[in-house]
Amino acid sequence: MSRDRRWALRWSYFFLVLFVIFFLTPPVYMFITSLKTSAEISAATNPWWVYHPTLSNYVELLTSPSFLTYFRNSAMVSVIVVSITMLISVPAAFALSRMKFWGSATLATGVFLTYLIPETLLFLPLFKMFAVFNEWTDIQLINRWWVLLFLYPTLTVPFATWIMIGYFASIPKELDEAALIDGAGWLQTLTKIFIPVALPGLIAATIFAFTVSWAQFLYPLAFTTSADQLVLPVGIITSLIKGDVFNWGQIMTGALLGAAPPLIIYAFLMDYYIAGLTAGATKG
Amino acid sequence: MVDAVIRRSEVAVPARRRTGLRRTMQRKSTVAFLMALPLILLIGLFVLYPALYSLHLATLNKSMERFVGLNNFLFLFKRETFWMVVQQSCIFAITAVIFKAIIGFIVAHFVHNVPAKGQRKWRGMLLVPWVIPPAMSTLAWLWLFDPSYSAFNWVLALFGVGPVPWTGDANWARFSVILVNVWIGAPFFMIMYLAALKSVPEQLYEAAAIDGANWWQRIWYVTLPMMRNIIAITALFSLIVTFANFDIVRILTAGGPIDRTHVFATWAFWLGIQGGDIPLGASVSLFMVPILAVAAIFILRDISKRGNEA
Amino acid sequence: MRKTKLTRRQFVGRTAAASAATLAAPFVRTAHAAGKLSLMLWDHWVPGANTASTELVNEWAAKEKVEVAIDYVTSQGNKNLLTIAAQAQARSGHDILAMPTWWPQDQVKNLEPVDDIMEPLIAQNGAVNDTVKYLGRADNHWIAVPATIGSQIKGPCSRIDLLKQHAGIDIQAMYPAGSPPKAETWTTETFFKAAEACHKAGFPFGIGLGQTTDSVDTAGAFFQAYGAELVNAKGDLTVKTDAVKEALDYCKRLAAFYPPDAPAWDDASNNKWLISGRGALIMNPPSAWAVARRDAPQVAEQCWTHGFPAGPKGRVAPFLPYFWGMWNFGKNKAAAKSLLVHLSQPAAIEKLVVASGGYDLPSFANLTTLKVWAEEGPPKGTLYHYPNPYNHQTLSIAAAPAPPKIAFQIYTQAIHTKMIVRHLQGEPMDKTLAWAESEVEGYLRT
Repeated sequence: MSRDRRWALRWSYFFLVLFVIFFLTPPVYMFITSLKTSAEISAATNPWWVYHPTLSNYVELLTSPSFLTYFRNSAMVSVIVVSITMLISVPAAFALSRMKFWGSATLATGVFLTYLIPETLLFLPLFKMFAVFNEWTDIQLINRWWVLLFLYPTLTVPFATWIMIGYFASIPKELDEAALIDGAGWLQTLTKIFIPVALPGLIAATIFAFTVSWAQFLYPLAFTTSADQLVLPVGIITSLIKGDVFNWGQIMTGALLGAAPPLIIYAFLMDYYIAGLTAGATKG
Repeated sequence: MVDAVIRRSEVAVPARRRTGLRRTMQRKSTVAFLMALPLILLIGLFVLYPALYSLHLATLNKSMERFVGLNNFLFLFKRETFWMVVQQSCIFAITAVIFKAIIGFIVAHFVHNVPAKGQRKWRGMLLVPWVIPPAMSTLAWLWLFDPSYSAFNWVLALFGVGPVPWTGDANWARFSVILVNVWIGAPFFMIMYLAALKSVPEQLYEAAAIDGANWWQRIWYVTLPMMRNIIAITALFSLIVTFANFDIVRILTAGGPIDRTHVFATWAFWLGIQGGDIPLGASVSLFMVPILAVAAIFILRDISKRGNEA
Repeated sequence: MRKTKLTRRQFVGRTAAASAATLAAPFVRTAHAAGKLSLMLWDHWVPGANTASTELVNEWAAKEKVEVAIDYVTSQGNKNLLTIAAQAQARSGHDILAMPTWWPQDQVKNLEPVDDIMEPLIAQNGAVNDTVKYLGRADNHWIAVPATIGSQIKGPCSRIDLLKQHAGIDIQAMYPAGSPPKAETWTTETFFKAAEACHKAGFPFGIGLGQTTDSVDTAGAFFQAYGAELVNAKGDLTVKTDAVKEALDYCKRLAAFYPPDAPAWDDASNNKWLISGRGALIMNPPSAWAVARRDAPQVAEQCWTHGFPAGPKGRVAPFLPYFWGMWNFGKNKAAAKSLLVHLSQPAAIEKLVVASGGYDLPSFANLTTLKVWAEEGPPKGTLYHYPNPYNHQTLSIAAAPAPPKIAFQIYTQAIHTKMIVRHLQGEPMDKTLAWAESEVEGYLRT
């Protein structure tokens, strides 16, 4: 039995290595390319090796005001959206999992169904809505990064709520009854009992909301055009790609730097992330 | 401090009379409704209303001045490209989800086989594609598939295999789009299936082993039935997301060559914005809804089944 | 509406070089008192060319005391088209926008007529060519000002050595620098043979069959060389005519010698093809050569830009003009008009052309013989024939002379290249023509 087990283990490692190569090749290639000058890239030497590594791409990007603006915009949008998301979904999840009110069952499943209405359907009518609003109130909603603060939550809140409902539902009812007996109000129940117990879920929802906000492409592509309003994914794709010939060393550097924040957060908080995703599914 | 909390909660509750906390908790419905209100407003204002508005847009003529009823839809039905896009979107979504599920399942098994201590780092490495923003990783794939500078073609050339037109030939382009989508999405499946695998009780496997089952039969008779719910939910969720995918096709092939990789989202964008015909673009987008609705019905059935079992 | 007095100051001398940023500053703000103006300009392919327009605009802003903001938006991924469409919907945005080809026509309802600027400019700078009139006028009004920045001819840019070696063509003799072209033998048949020869030698012509403008422009020019129109000037469908069949047949036979993944090419692919040294010819303005000069000088030294081959019905070169359009819902139209006049002054135009390394083509007749094209190099004279100085080819645009609204769709939906690819990949010509006819019929809807 043990020899079979060892062979199974060896095969497992073998295939795991193959899959890791498959999954990690693009990021590694991004890194390799980011160390090349555009001269080396157009010389079409071995693409998998750097002959004259240089950090100039990184230096240029990190000292360029426009790239830093994109980064700053992305960071601001993501952080604010995460806060908005948690402020909306935690109370909503609490209400939907614990309190019954008219329509709550429909709402709980309905929330999930919003994902059926994709952004590509919505961005045109949203555009016209904002335009009309602009005419009435003179408040500029188009081409401002803070428009995204209204739109991103539509993508993050449903799933975050769903995760939190799963976690809250698994907290035994005896806990809140005990709290009630001790004279706690609903707010206190929420903050002192539910949130601490469901903390892994909260962290997972936060990470999810951050990752989704950071990675958004269509909404910012449609709604922001001026360079100082762009967020990172759109900024890299539309303004780093200069000239007929792609400046790939810089683009890959930009893409890598753009992927860095979610990756770093993921590296440190991986367990919460995974736990949150899976718990949302298995707890239901 | 308790006083402060009590005072705060009294102020927060829009009670019409000053009630004790028990009464407040009994007024659950108002409080609960208010807590859910931001969610309702958000969805209503930025999802439902625009969706309905786009229904209205789809009934207008090209310059959006006249009401033309269902003409846009009738026009689409007569176009060859439209049916090609329908076919492509469906094939793309279904194929991608099947491969994601299979790869996710296989990889989850291998990770599960590894001793628990080492699993963490394997999981970490394998989830990376899902964490990187899709727009960024698609750029990397675009560069890997570049007609002149493809790194893959360079490797193939070492073996004497001709350059592959990854995005140039229609079938290769479809393959490339599916490949990138699978690359990005398979880790999600892997993580879900891994968690589900862990929850299958060990005794079932032992019983199967006693009955003389080999590894294939163990999977078929023990693992898969236990994981049925998770498999269904993940697959359906992914089907919806993949079906409405925009980023990958747009960045990798922009729908080409000759519209052979267009899906609903990208074709709607192409017609609506670049073709200057917004009602037509809206009509195309709306076609996603019935198809997604069918998927939704299946999810609803599954969720309520799970809810009843719980 | 107050009419601004047009300033006719001759602007002498160039301002000192602006600060060099590694990434050209995509947005510029000058803080001054009266009035605000925002521009959306096309982000130039040629490295460093944006600084010239920034300087010119800033100069004007300082003189007129207007606060100006410039956004440089790329055409890669159609970002600029998206911006135009979005702003038209929102009825708000920049005051002046750079609009390529058909977009002024598509947006005619939202654009401010500019007859009051154009007439004096034409009187001052010379007439504009027919394509510019076709695209820039609607209902007998000028709806946009032809822009120097970005206007280009997408003629051939060839490798002197490769054409000589493999196709036996001495392109420098055919298009000598400093004198008129001797290009009677440069016909579509010669072109075909040269393409075949270079393909056999392993250095195919790098012409794309994708859906971006580089591919569409070339295909359109070949169609027009055969006199083939999908829709005629009156708006009748003329897809199933002999001229179209001839043109389609020629393009299909020619496409056999293109790179295998040509259908997926975008505007950058042919540049990369040339710079990597893999191709003997591409159809592109001088941006590819300019980048090669920086990254692959040994290739750049062998580049020569010249005229398009002549077909049975004439020698037509693909011309892609940009325009500067003003939204009629803009808030500062007077200032916008004044700025457009400033940017169309001969000295300003010369500055822009020089900064772009000869890429930008002024649309006014008096300005097509600036020194810069004769002097750019290496090799010296490589751009001499780029601006069509002897008028030996007609400048036109794919899908002309169809009514603009229809031509716009044909162009953006890349019907020409799609027809070629479909036929190339085995579809019988009748089916391809039937498909094209049904597509174009769809564009006749309003």
